[in-house]
Amino acid sequence: MYHKINKWSVYSLGDHAIVFALEEKIDPFIVHTITRLSDFIKSKGLPGVKDIIPSYHTLTLVYDIIQFSNTSKNTTDYLVAFSNHILNEFDLIPTTSLIESKEIIAVPVCYEMPFAMDIESLSKAKNISTDALIQIHTSKIYEVYSIGFLPGFAYMGTVDEKIQMPRHEKPRMQVIAGSVGIAGLQTGIYPSDSPGGWQIIGRTPWKIFDPNPSVLAKFKVGDKIQYYSISKNDFDKMNEYN
Amino acid sequence: MSIRVIKKGLSDSIQDHGRYGYQHLGIQPNGCMDYMSAWLGNYILHNDIHNPVIELHFPSGQFQFEEDYTICITGANFVPVINDKSIELNTAIQVKSKDVLSMLQPIEGKTSYIAIEGKFEDPAWLNSKSYNGKRLDKDQLLPYKPKPNTNKQNQLRLHELVEHTQEIVFNNHSPIRILPGPSWKYLKDSSLFEILNEGFKLSPQANRMGFNLIGPKLELNIPNAFLSSAVTRGTLQLLPSGDIIVLMADHQTIGGYANLGQIILVDLPRFTQMKTDKSFHFEIIDLDKANQLYRNIYEQFQY
Repeated sequence: MYHKINKWSVYSLGDHAIVFALEEKIDPFIVHTITRLSDFIKSKGLPGVKDIIPSYHTLTLVYDIIQFSNTSKNTTDYLVAFSNHILNEFDLIPTTSLIESKEIIAVPVCYEMPFAMDIESLSKAKNISTDALIQIHTSKIYEVYSIGFLPGFAYMGTVDEKIQMPRHEKPRMQVIAGSVGIAGLQTGIYPSDSPGGWQIIGRTPWKIFDPNPSVLAKFKVGDKIQYYSISKNDFDKMNEYN
Repeated sequence: MSIRVIKKGLSDSIQDHGRYGYQHLGIQPNGCMDYMSAWLGNYILHNDIHNPVIELHFPSGQFQFEEDYTICITGANFVPVINDKSIELNTAIQVKSKDVLSMLQPIEGKTSYIAIEGKFEDPAWLNSKSYNGKRLDKDQLLPYKPKPNTNKQNQLRLHELVEHTQEIVFNNHSPIRILPGPSWKYLKDSSLFEILNEGFKLSPQANRMGFNLIGPKLELNIPNAFLSSAVTRGTLQLLPSGDIIVLMADHQTIGGYANLGQIILVDLPRFTQMKTDKSFHFEIIDLDKANQLYRNIYEQFQY
């Protein structure tokens, strides 16, 4: 199933998922439209919808075949009618929740050793001081474009060109939870200890993922983030892993 | 009131219908790889078909019952024995306290299930008791509380259901059916021909996250780098090497490589159980038919 509705492409993904897609671009407006559609669909509490997954320019609904389209109609017709209905209703909602009005989450990061394993090599490669690198990394407001790889791992962007750096060719065997990294134009935080290839420039004392069902992930797609620099002393005081 | 793991297997775990509703936070869905065999075991015992089962991969663990239980082994045939006496697959079996269940050798299939009559009393995490990457360990106690069912199953109907499930999961050598995905249109003409006409085999690199395939090297007309979007169980992802990896139950929630298509749900149990040396083909099916097939099978597991 594939069809176009205005600026949207809607297509089925296998036999138990459907995707609403906009232009494939890293764009704050696009990701916020995707999260608004996500919230809208979630609010409808549709039977049989198992997952609603926003990521950059797409929103994917994973559904239970039996409960979602329990109808005499064939699936293709049902999905076309369903997506038309959803997008028509969605278009009528005023876009009052402007991007600008969103609260910015201020995330503490200690850019010192031993946390900032790659900060020296990165600043050398980019020919700037580590202070300038920290200043550039903390001056920008980032959008969360996607979550994945690990539970709670948020892909944020976009990083200033002056400090962009591809990931290590050989990933580290272990990156410690809380490590803040750069990979190309994206920045993010490892939510748990894991192998990883991102350029590590600091560590947050915050727990980014907590399996406690009332806590779970610190960030969600569409959040706005700004980092601020803290000392090793502050880090120890704020450390949520203690 | 438990089953004790007395020997650790390679990769055994507790699985159920999976952990859905949290993929937007990057939490993997998990769940039974061959869900149909798991349904069958539970159905034979008159459990809820989604009751947590023990999923085994060979070499699998050894289990001692600390209570009398009724169990049922389904899925792959690893030659199950109770205290060295072989037992039937797809049949309700009474076991006594102190009995030991072992699996001797993999004769058919790759994933076996132990269903147990009763309730698995571990707490759920996010609506599921499926293990998320964790494995069963030696000396672990599995808190199954026996709950004998008074309901008698219609034996003729059970027999038919077992036959039918075996047919779908094991005795079917037709192509694996897929629905083309968003990157299908970017396949070069030669690759499009190859994916539909050449044989593929499973690489030994296969686990609950994904199965690597050995086959023709496929190429796209555009670079294989996309903005990440959600993937599902059964997704055919094209790796930079030109090989396909099929994402399985413990897959990551998003992916940035080309999404060539999805194996339909009904063919996933058969794909899960396929041996590495077996050559198979892909074939395109349409969405309506795929959904209808799933409905038909699901219907048969309703009491």
